[in-house]
Amino acid sequence: MKRVPWVAVALCLLLVIGVFIGIAMGPVKLEFHRLVETILGHGDTAAKMLIWDLRLPRVAAALLVGACLGIAGYLLQTSTRNPLGDPLLFGLGGGAAVIQALAMAGIVGMGTWGLYALSVMASLVGAAIITFFASRQGVSPARLALIGVSLSALTAAIATGALAGARVFGVQSLNFVGGSLANRGWQDIFPALPFLGLGLLVAIPILGNLNVLALGDQVAGNLGAEPGRTRAVAVASSGILGGTAVAVAGLVGFVGLLVPHVTRLLVGHDVRSAFIISILLGASVVLFADQVARLAFMPSEVPIGMITALLGAPLMIFVARRIQWN
Amino acid sequence: MELTLTGISYVRREKAILSDVSAVVPSSGLTCLLGTNGAGKTTLLRILSGELKSTSGKYYIGDIDASALSQRELAKYFAIIPQNAPIPPYLTVREMVGLGRFQPRGFSKWHLSSQDRTNIDACLVRCQIDKLGDRRLDELSGGEQKRAWLALGLAPDKKFIMLDETLEGMDIFVKRTFFQLLKDIASQDKSILLTSHDLDMVNEFADKIIVLIGGKVIFEGPPDSNLQRLLSDTPEST
Repeated sequence: MKRVPWVAVALCLLLVIGVFIGIAMGPVKLEFHRLVETILGHGDTAAKMLIWDLRLPRVAAALLVGACLGIAGYLLQTSTRNPLGDPLLFGLGGGAAVIQALAMAGIVGMGTWGLYALSVMASLVGAAIITFFASRQGVSPARLALIGVSLSALTAAIATGALAGARVFGVQSLNFVGGSLANRGWQDIFPALPFLGLGLLVAIPILGNLNVLALGDQVAGNLGAEPGRTRAVAVASSGILGGTAVAVAGLVGFVGLLVPHVTRLLVGHDVRSAFIISILLGASVVLFADQVARLAFMPSEVPIGMITALLGAPLMIFVARRIQWN
Repeated sequence: MELTLTGISYVRREKAILSDVSAVVPSSGLTCLLGTNGAGKTTLLRILSGELKSTSGKYYIGDIDASALSQRELAKYFAIIPQNAPIPPYLTVREMVGLGRFQPRGFSKWHLSSQDRTNIDACLVRCQIDKLGDRRLDELSGGEQKRAWLALGLAPDKKFIMLDETLEGMDIFVKRTFFQLLKDIASQDKSILLTSHDLDMVNEFADKIIVLIGGKVIFEGPPDSNLQRLLSDTPEST
């Protein structure tokens, strides 16, 4: 589609604006000249700490989580031909949620790297379950959604049980269940980058095949697109990315569901273009939602998932009236 | 290069779905596989396209033992348009037919060449939907959608095109024009294998008929006015 570059440029501009808001605005006032000086490496210590150690890592975390959720949702919806495909709704992020809850409860104790790896592995278990059911002949999108929602409810119950049993503080639990990027530092982001890279590397070779999956498994197989393997790889990638997002930010709802639909409305069905746009759009949505979450009620913050749902739900209702699906 | 089936059987959960099916599908022309629901027509097409492996028996494309080929290798010879294929409504007709030129060559290398585009336009013309190329699939009538699927089947330029009960649920006028279209395409050195329940249409348009009842071939030959009586006399066909 000819408008793909324009949409990409517009989203990049949005991201630049979002990054600027993310580092320039906050409860601690930072004058414009101090901001510029600090970015150029001449700022005072307080400004340097504020930007490089507090605000920029949070912006980076928002970009990472948004990109992960945007692609994860897109891969899941496309590979399962299901408009409800969302890593959190389908339980893919549920495994990661259980691991994070167990870590918060003090039951699982390990470093950030280990915890992220364990979260991704737990998400891959959910991905395997979804792949198994999605590949069975006769499993309708509605039935697959029911299986996914059940898996999600099951993991949410286990995570809630772990948090309740260990009497984890209310605010900490709320930030996890509603998703939050508060106090995220570079030490939370760097360990997530290899998993983002892995999720992308796994998905890129099968994007061409995913296009053909829209015609059903029989025709896709006949055209050489290997539907079973393609779907397994796509859902695994979705699991890796969804698990990474949950490990970094908790349960940020609605992004994985909404971004793929808006992406298709913006740039059409070609998976290769939509893949890139879903990265940019997911990152933009989470970045701006986080700015609202931290700035709207200064000096207090609200969970980012609350903002994505407040903004996303009306938009999803609007989009749902326009989307067409199998 | 004709398609020769020799003694194909398929057993699922100890039930024989196909029993010793032997037949010849000519290298061109419209061959209709006639039979009741559950006669094994779809199973036979799934075996021919490599989606299922037969319990016993072989089939040959010319001299090639096709039963030993993988689904991917078989895809070079067969285009299949399945029963109840999902219709991606967000695609335009041209986009959907373009997917028929898909080559699995990774992320960036697959693109439509000018030759692909010429081929797609030719397929749309052959299926008489060239004016509908930019319309979305969900905006088309049932008959137009069937033509779009047929154009998709033509796009990869394969020798055999298999259509599984593509015309069920269509009214008589749509069926008649579609059968005529199939006949025209089949006359241009394509071999079309169509499964159907509709004896009258098949008798009128097919070049060859294979009747499958209870997993067995009970008739193979050109259209025959005695087919109705033959089917009535076969207990499993009622």
